[in-house]
Amino acid sequence: MDIILTDRSLRKFLETSASAQEIAQKVSLCGPTFDGFHEVDGDFIYKIEAITNRVDSASAQGVAREAAAILTQFKIPAQLINDPYQDKIKFPLGLPQPFHFNFDQNLVVRFAAISLENISIKPSPLATQKFLENCGQKPLNNCIDITNELTILYGLPSHIFDLDKLATQNLTIRESRPGEVVITLDHQVNQLSGGDLVIEDTSGRLIDLCGIMGGEVAMVDDHTKSLLLIVPVYHPAKIRHSSLYLQKRTLAAQIYEKGPDPELCLAVMSKAIQLIKERAGGEISSSLLDYYPSPYKPKSVSLDFNWLNHFIGIDIDNKTVISILESLGFSVDASATQLSCLVPSWRYHDINLKEDLAEEVARIYGYYRLPSLIPTVTVQPEPKNLLLETELKIKKYLACHGLYEVYNSSLISQSLIDRTLQSSAQNLKLQNALSLDYQYLRHSLIPSSLENHKHNQGKVSGLIKTFEVAHTYQKVVSSQLPHELPTLAILCEGNFLDYKGLLETLLTFLQVRKIDFEPAQNPPPYFDPASTATVTSDGLLLGYLGLPKKLVLRNIGLESSPTAIEINLENLVSKINSHPIYEPVSEYPNLLEDITIKSKYLLGDIIKIIKNTSDLIKEVQYLGSYQQNHSFRVSFGSHQKNLQQSEVNTLKKSIQQVFQT
Amino acid sequence: MDTKLTAIQTIQGEFTLDLKQVTSLAQVDLLSTRYLGKHGQINTLFKTLPIKSDPQTGRKINDLKSVIETKITEKINQFLSLPTSTTFDVTTPGTPTPLGSLHLITQAIEEIENIFLSQGFVRRRYPEVETDWYYAEGLNIPPDHPARDDQETFFIDQDIVLTAHTSNGQLHEMELKKAPPIKMINIGKTYRRQIDASHTPMFHQFEGLVVDKDINITHLLGITEFFAKSYFGSDRRTRLRPHHFQFTEPSFEIDVSCGLCNGTGLIAKNACKICKSGWLELGGAGMVHPQVLKNGGLNPDQCTGFAFGWGVERVLMMKTQLPDLRLVYSDDIRFLKQF
Repeated sequence: MDIILTDRSLRKFLETSASAQEIAQKVSLCGPTFDGFHEVDGDFIYKIEAITNRVDSASAQGVAREAAAILTQFKIPAQLINDPYQDKIKFPLGLPQPFHFNFDQNLVVRFAAISLENISIKPSPLATQKFLENCGQKPLNNCIDITNELTILYGLPSHIFDLDKLATQNLTIRESRPGEVVITLDHQVNQLSGGDLVIEDTSGRLIDLCGIMGGEVAMVDDHTKSLLLIVPVYHPAKIRHSSLYLQKRTLAAQIYEKGPDPELCLAVMSKAIQLIKERAGGEISSSLLDYYPSPYKPKSVSLDFNWLNHFIGIDIDNKTVISILESLGFSVDASATQLSCLVPSWRYHDINLKEDLAEEVARIYGYYRLPSLIPTVTVQPEPKNLLLETELKIKKYLACHGLYEVYNSSLISQSLIDRTLQSSAQNLKLQNALSLDYQYLRHSLIPSSLENHKHNQGKVSGLIKTFEVAHTYQKVVSSQLPHELPTLAILCEGNFLDYKGLLETLLTFLQVRKIDFEPAQNPPPYFDPASTATVTSDGLLLGYLGLPKKLVLRNIGLESSPTAIEINLENLVSKINSHPIYEPVSEYPNLLEDITIKSKYLLGDIIKIIKNTSDLIKEVQYLGSYQQNHSFRVSFGSHQKNLQQSEVNTLKKSIQQVFQT
Repeated sequence: MDTKLTAIQTIQGEFTLDLKQVTSLAQVDLLSTRYLGKHGQINTLFKTLPIKSDPQTGRKINDLKSVIETKITEKINQFLSLPTSTTFDVTTPGTPTPLGSLHLITQAIEEIENIFLSQGFVRRRYPEVETDWYYAEGLNIPPDHPARDDQETFFIDQDIVLTAHTSNGQLHEMELKKAPPIKMINIGKTYRRQIDASHTPMFHQFEGLVVDKDINITHLLGITEFFAKSYFGSDRRTRLRPHHFQFTEPSFEIDVSCGLCNGTGLIAKNACKICKSGWLELGGAGMVHPQVLKNGGLNPDQCTGFAFGWGVERVLMMKTQLPDLRLVYSDDIRFLKQF
């Protein structure tokens, strides 16, 4: 949470010789971060980021307490002054109460109210106006400005109503009903969704959007003569919900949603009364209402010195530990080995464990004073992660063969799913997509690849060749979670056979064996079945190689017809032969013979048939075809002996015979 | 005269003549074989000597052998030192091998991974689509906590989200290992509902987790500094600032000194444009919350740990000073080929 303070306001609570720059630098290292400061008219303005669970430090008083503790550790004299928790507060007794509040249960932590009369509204003193402006707020009038000023100084908002505009016999604090409307001080008409905290007056009007902004109905204006002053603390979650829903992120809302300290209510009320008397001449006209259903009970957390030193990693002497905790407001009861710390009311929510106390000691002592040590952890060796290793190997291989790696978003649009002829029923859909462009998790990588080509069309000289390695998200019937499937997609312009060759060589390089390509019966919908093959290894489907359908290319707007490859990397990795076995190299040279086969079979089948004719056939290289005549260069060889030409001739005959039958 | 001596003289004479006639290196090699080879003239002459010949003749043959060897070597050198007849224009452009490129993110992940592997971390990859338990509740973020209703998380349904951080890997790793020690780095895709110059809906994080007996804050500092110096350069410094996360206690924000202004915050007396007074935010870290250790099945009385989750794109941008994160996800080959 970001707040703005002036140096002067900070020094109302902090007595120190440190300069503004020193305060900003040192406090940032150990407490709230000063994101910057600059000088205006002899004062400094600080932008401070209060840590989310430390709403107690989101005020001048809160930052001062931190600064006093921190600067002391830097050996810079500093102390907290004007601590509101030390104030002795008295309110007049025996006055009537011209208002009555009803409280619905569990909405209010504490609620203090009092009325004042004989108010004269005018502008605030110039110094106050200047202060508010420097803190990014707009001065309004002497009374409203007081509540805003106190919020910045003490971190607890308060609010004033024009008492004469209210029907105060029965004021009810309750949750709003859906559809109710409250008009706030910014003149906005807020349609409530229900469950927002509101105050309803006797005549049934909503006079306050609690903890966020007052209602216009009871606005204090130039004619106001009497005030109803409230200093409440509400249930944090309620305020947060309404503030987010209504997009009213006021300073008050940001404070209330983090649970400020109810023990501060009366001190702030007393300050407010004092300032109203000074600046608007008012008088208290009621006794104090103080609704506090479950008052704060002190709690204590214990801390073992030995554990503390182990946890921080250095020895900090007991005295220093105690003085740090005391400087932050803890009451410490120490024995030789451990501490019992009474947690101050303003730290009630964030201090619960010994680790919380360790943080206080370590940060105020100074993280910057700790050494950097590499831990000695004796880990057991683990089997290597073949998938991650293979992914990187593939990427490097393809990058070295002229392909560009692309990272696409896992999230795609309905339109892309439609244009690639898929059904979005297969895709996981986001409930709260950022835009239509990022609505579904990808089921395939090829659609994104096609778009990559479209984007590059006409921009690069030479062929467009891209690839991507990423998860696709496959719905699983029995689970809410998808299978996150590592997938490889390749999309390249140019000759189909070049990329079939690239894939074959890649698979061989990776030690994937028994690779086979067959015409695909049922390829994914963006592939043209007439020119798409399944890629298998030892019968396991690894993926598809083929040409995208013309309709898909047209839908995407691609002029070329690139070759697409999509591979399931889990299956691929399962077929990697990671421990190849040594095969003796034959001492006898192979004999090469060309052979022409006349056949109606697919070339792949012809090659398989030739290979299966004899163990002496080592390789079959395809040379070319004319009509149904296909030429091959066959290498014959044996591990045992030099083959004779006559043996080779016999083999050639038996090959031809297979195709004649 | 001894026939052997005559033979020696004859060979010498023939060799002298032959040597004069050679015109190429190949012919010298032939000559060498003819005279000095296994079946060459010299060896043949040796073989004609009786087993116990007079040593004098033997020595003469050896003398002849070394003369021939010397002359052949001279001749070879003579040929090798001749200038080549055709001069080759070495500035002719080479025939390029097709070259693509590895994506910046892949390069960054490999670099990050290697830094942590060198420290004995094991690389993991945990789910991107996750249940509420691993994503939030198990990480000590109860259902009504404000950290829940931030607007940054993508939901598939009430219980299933796209992870906005890699911290879900912490619980998975504890469950996998069942007992300390743990030393892992989880690198994966993460998602947030944001898009601007420094946010893309999808990005990458790396999550470190170390759990063992007696792990303390100084160790978090040690690993952080090791990473920062390895990745950004040995002159970089790191610092911790207090912060708050539900799943670590204490929690920190880690800063790395700015490389552009050398951590001074000033460039020629003007404020450095890329950092906040000399420091760049690296990301969050902290000591693992005891409740998270419990939720992962470990006993917080017997072990402690630290964890950090930092952005791959974040460190990449800190290092390369790319002006806009969205560039990283450009598919323009003219951009991709630069890396």
